[in-house]
Amino acid sequence: MAGPPVIEIEIKDHLFFPDEVRIPADTKVKLLVKNLDPTAEEFESYELNREKVIAGNSEAIIFIGPLPAGQYPFFGEFFPKTAQGKVIVE
Amino acid sequence: MLLNAVIIILREVLEAALIISVFLALSQLLNRNLWWMLLALVLGFGGAYIYAVNLSTISMAMEGTGQEVLNAVLHSVIFLALLIFMITVPHQRHQQWRLINLVTIVLAVITAIIREGSEIILYIKGFIGIPDLLSPVLMGSAVGAGIGLSVGVFFYYLLVNMRKSHGIWLGYLILLLIGGSMVAQAVEFMIQANYISATTPIWDSSHLISERSATGQLLYALIGYEATPAPQQAAAYFASIGLLIMAAGISFIFRGKAS
Repeated sequence: MAGPPVIEIEIKDHLFFPDEVRIPADTKVKLLVKNLDPTAEEFESYELNREKVIAGNSEAIIFIGPLPAGQYPFFGEFFPKTAQGKVIVE
Repeated sequence: MLLNAVIIILREVLEAALIISVFLALSQLLNRNLWWMLLALVLGFGGAYIYAVNLSTISMAMEGTGQEVLNAVLHSVIFLALLIFMITVPHQRHQQWRLINLVTIVLAVITAIIREGSEIILYIKGFIGIPDLLSPVLMGSAVGAGIGLSVGVFFYYLLVNMRKSHGIWLGYLILLLIGGSMVAQAVEFMIQANYISATTPIWDSSHLISERSATGQLLYALIGYEATPAPQQAAAYFASIGLLIMAAGISFIFRGKAS
């Protein structure tokens, strides 16, 4: 059985790449977040109800959805000034 | 950077400080000695350090859901400790019950420190190689920890200086809310790890009190406030509070009979 589609996000210099992720509505998605910085980061989103600490130079998996269409901002709690992004569900 | 450090550390410290201060106050009100606190602090920070340095291994365990599972376990342990604590309090005349009661307090405090402390250690550890940022981060962390601990100290003195019966009741009430919040957070982690299927939030109160706002953050620490909880989270919250009340009530009724 195929699992949910995987979407990769990288953290580099305390920025998310890409900082906008488009996913289809009502679909479960697996985010693979790779932290390329030496510092830890916490992926956090109030709208998605998600929080996960990612150690420096390592990666983490976060499941999101199924979600109704809309915009769901997320941010890096440890570097919130720069680490900002959003999931666009359409 | 400094302000950000204040907020992050405050958020983490607040939750642990609340649990610790309420248990300290209840121990005081129940005439327990407080030597256990030192032991719990040392073991808690030791555990937090081990968790922090092994985070990436833990995260990638269980197909990438190790962190969620461990956090859910830690939250559940705190809830179980609260449950057994409440059951054993009415039987303080019996040596065995007193001992179990003390063990539950120590366990809850250690677990709360492991959970919140590991994030603090990870956050600060990241700045060790960056001298320009390290000192504002340490300064901010100290301020955040200071504010969080002050709130704990405030609750402690509030409880111990009330009339004894009122203090115990208010302490119980706070423990109930912490218990509900712990189980709701455990369920949230199980949803995040895809062990429980998420559904549409049962309500959306983000336009009333946003989780981003200071009020939202404070309410999150105090009563586990969520602006958009999944139905399973809300159900777990209220069911666990109900369970705590029921268990404490039954134990209280049978307090004279058990031996």
